[in-house]
Amino acid sequence: MTNILRAAILAGIVAISAPAVEAEEAVLSVGMSGGYFPFTFVRQDVLQGFEVDVMNAVGEVADLEIQFETMTFSGLVGALDAGRIDTIANQITITPEREAKFAFTQPYVIDGAQVVTRRGNDAIAGVDDLRGKIVAVNLGSNFEQLLRDLPFADEVEIRTYESNIEQDTALGRVDAFVMDRVSSAQVIEQSPLPLQLAGPPFSEIRNALPFRDDKEGRALRDKVDAALTTLRENGTLSEISKKWFGSDITKPSAE
Amino acid sequence: MPGLDIGYMVGLVPVILGYVPLTLAMASAAMVFALVLASLLAVERVARVPLLDRLVVLFISFFRGTPLLVQLFLFYYGLPQVLPVLTRIDGVTAAILGLTLHFAAYMAESIRAAIVSVDRSQMEAAQSVGMTQRQAMQRIILPQAARVAAPTLVNYFIDMLKATSLAFTLGVTEMMGAAQKEAAGSFLYFEAFLVVAMIYWIMVEVLSNGQKALETYLDRAYAR
Repeated sequence: MTNILRAAILAGIVAISAPAVEAEEAVLSVGMSGGYFPFTFVRQDVLQGFEVDVMNAVGEVADLEIQFETMTFSGLVGALDAGRIDTIANQITITPEREAKFAFTQPYVIDGAQVVTRRGNDAIAGVDDLRGKIVAVNLGSNFEQLLRDLPFADEVEIRTYESNIEQDTALGRVDAFVMDRVSSAQVIEQSPLPLQLAGPPFSEIRNALPFRDDKEGRALRDKVDAALTTLRENGTLSEISKKWFGSDITKPSAE
Repeated sequence: MPGLDIGYMVGLVPVILGYVPLTLAMASAAMVFALVLASLLAVERVARVPLLDRLVVLFISFFRGTPLLVQLFLFYYGLPQVLPVLTRIDGVTAAILGLTLHFAAYMAESIRAAIVSVDRSQMEAAQSVGMTQRQAMQRIILPQAARVAAPTLVNYFIDMLKATSLAFTLGVTEMMGAAQKEAAGSFLYFEAFLVVAMIYWIMVEVLSNGQKALETYLDRAYAR
């Protein structure tokens, strides 16, 4: 009797622990907004974009199962902090404030901040013309901080958005929006919105993957960082970049 | 104004429809839990159990006094900082929990008002023919109160159904989240938001018809 009982208990333990062990087969949960063309966006219910391809490639090299979680952009950092996701792949720029809080991988996108206006609005030809203007940026993005750090920041009316800054600029509710150069160029080329680039990019930005700054987080960071190095060396990174942007944005440009 | 991209809208309909079950499941689960909680709260508010009454008043005051979005953020992003275990609650659960607590506070008042609306003399009459208080409540008071409360409760359910669109802020891709992401990828904002609006509208219309049937059923004793 006791033997049967013991066997049953053992069988139960095995049954319970087998899937648990399997689930532990390193899952990397990656947060993104799913609404930032062409880095991360959805078409016909399919999540795609540059970041998705990069993370899938990282997963393959590092032998991690990549699990994408989409949520509003401003919620991403909170979710990372709370341990709901392991990292964010949404063109996260390395800033001193973020570096103090998170452990970053090497940069995998090097880009510039760009002013974009409604098509035909030639009054704005660069960041210096933003004095006295209304400018849209994504809430919680580093572009907001970039604007606030301008020497004439108090003369700029900054509006922060959860999403749809491109649309509000096209509608003329704001004079311009500020985003990274490559996505801006892609939006202008591929969307029906009447927009134009206003002047050259005004600040270099380096995007990387943030992890929680604890033992587990840093270990994951090191694993992913090594994968990025491999992908850089075997040309995969540059290939993914060319697929989405027609140019290589994963290295410092020669210009 | 450029024309609508009809082909895009037609293609979007099945995508958004795919999220209808999730929206209905979240709203229905929250409605069931909220009805149970609200009934308990309402009965307590009528009976006024000492001490407990103060807690119930505090509960209703808080959940009516703060926006649902604030409550959702408080549960989902705020509380886990104090109690790390709460990180395990996923977005769907957090949304259902938030909707339940929020709407229970409103529905409790609605149910309480319905109970109070049945004249006290009916309880006395029921007891005078030998019914216990419990029997009188079950057989005389509550059926009448249900008739009064039904339209407002259905109203809350409609509101709840639409409030599930806030779950996207907790990382749950539901109907609105899906539309928002499709719009961000296609830049066809009008088309995407129009499709999601129409689908919500149709769902609520179906519910409104259900409400009429429910009211007829509850009114059957009064039908002439």
